[in-house]
Amino acid sequence: MPRNDPTDTGGLFIGRRPGTAPLHYRAAPETGGEGRRRADATLAALVLAAETVLCLSLWGPQPAGWLWIGSQVDYWTKSVTAGIAVAFAGMIGTLMFTLAIASRLDRLWRLLRRAAGHDQREGMLGRIFAVTAVVAGGIFLFWFVIIQGPGPTFSSTH
Amino acid sequence: MRRFIDYYRQFDEMTPEEISADLRARRDEERARQLEEVPSLDLASGAWPGPPHAEAVNAATFALRRALNAYPDPSRAVAAIAQRHGVDADRVATGHGAGDLLRAALAAVAPGGEVAVAWPAWGPIPRLVHEAGGTPVPVPLGADGAPDAAALLAAATPVTRAVVLCTPNDPTGAATDPTALARLAAELPEPVWLIVDAALAPFAPDDPSTLVEARQRVLVVHSASKAHALAGLRAGYALGPAGSLIERIAPVEGLASPALAALAWAASAGDAAVERRRAHANAERERLARELEDTPLSFPAGHGHLVWLGSERHDGRTLAGHLAARRIAVMPGAAWGDDARIRIALRDAAATERLAAALRELD
Repeated sequence: MPRNDPTDTGGLFIGRRPGTAPLHYRAAPETGGEGRRRADATLAALVLAAETVLCLSLWGPQPAGWLWIGSQVDYWTKSVTAGIAVAFAGMIGTLMFTLAIASRLDRLWRLLRRAAGHDQREGMLGRIFAVTAVVAGGIFLFWFVIIQGPGPTFSSTH
Repeated sequence: MRRFIDYYRQFDEMTPEEISADLRARRDEERARQLEEVPSLDLASGAWPGPPHAEAVNAATFALRRALNAYPDPSRAVAAIAQRHGVDADRVATGHGAGDLLRAALAAVAPGGEVAVAWPAWGPIPRLVHEAGGTPVPVPLGADGAPDAAALLAAATPVTRAVVLCTPNDPTGAATDPTALARLAAELPEPVWLIVDAALAPFAPDDPSTLVEARQRVLVVHSASKAHALAGLRAGYALGPAGSLIERIAPVEGLASPALAALAWAASAGDAAVERRRAHANAERERLARELEDTPLSFPAGHGHLVWLGSERHDGRTLAGHLAARRIAVMPGAAWGDDARIRIALRDAAATERLAAALRELD
């Protein structure tokens, strides 16, 4: 038995190594023809792109939009607290809603990948969420520190 | 549209809860099936049903890993066997089991003559005599199921080359009285070889190996398959007069080194294990005898795990068929030309009780 055989547990686990379980289908699925698999692969790529866009929106457009709405609430109610509360609640609400949509898209992506002939066990949502957070955080830090932060005060124009 | 959605739904995996429920259902189904199934019980093979002593396996394994590139050295095993039986080392030949030693011995002594065989005996003996160019002459067993020494002596004619007997006898388990055996060895005409298959001898209190001191033309063949539970190693040895026969029956390059190592361990340190197996076999014989009291079934008193069972009401074919229908395999006596009996190789208490229960259903 090769050392990398997933069924060789080395006596550490009762069953197989964690994360090596095969997919359990209710019945053996019947995959479509070559053309359909190619179409499914394309659809899967589109769904993944939509997922990425949704996740990216969590770190820019959505907070910005809710900050604008919060400012409007502040203006009309003359209450900073109300503005902050509405912006915060709105951000949390749309975050949850977006993740719910993204999670459904992720499931759809898994099904499309499997239909395209891949042994797709896990979704990509967690990874996309983490990567977009890092990317958006980096962009924000660059904007905050370099563009809008102390950077301009060090420049020779001031 | 529904077909379109269903196409993609078939790729949806089961949830962990669904998987667990499915596994539970499969387990329950398997358990239910196990309760319905009756496992088969093999009581036909004459090999010892349990594993060998761990030290015998260790000895063989050590030899296997030590120097498999070298030719085997039989001197240690031969010395241990010689010491065990109190004979000189040049009176010992090791071989690939008792069967091969018997074949070689018969090939050397039987050509052109008759060989008196106490029958029924170990099944292949008549074939080995034929192969050697001799004519097997069956000599009926005594009333006790053991080879009849007097009848064998009477069967010896001027054309008899050898007399062959098994003690304790396979398939009956009955042993020839040592005094009668000694008389046979003493009174058998000198040109005739006395060949004793002692494969089951460790199960009996008397060792026929002492005959090698009582007569020049005598060969006592031992096996490691039964009492030492080493049938898979194909190891045995023979004791006889120093000289050509002992040299001729040994394999050309001897036994493999694992077999020699296990034989050496068995001869020098295997007594305790043999004693346990002897007690186990005798306990099972007694258990079966108790279980079959007040039934028309009976078997000769004897030693070892082989039982030669007969019935006053049914023939061997009926007995074997009845047991086979209950998934218990035994050897029909027809294999020895005796349609009245069956040979049973006892295993353990559970097997004996299941056998006895099945047999009691018959009568």
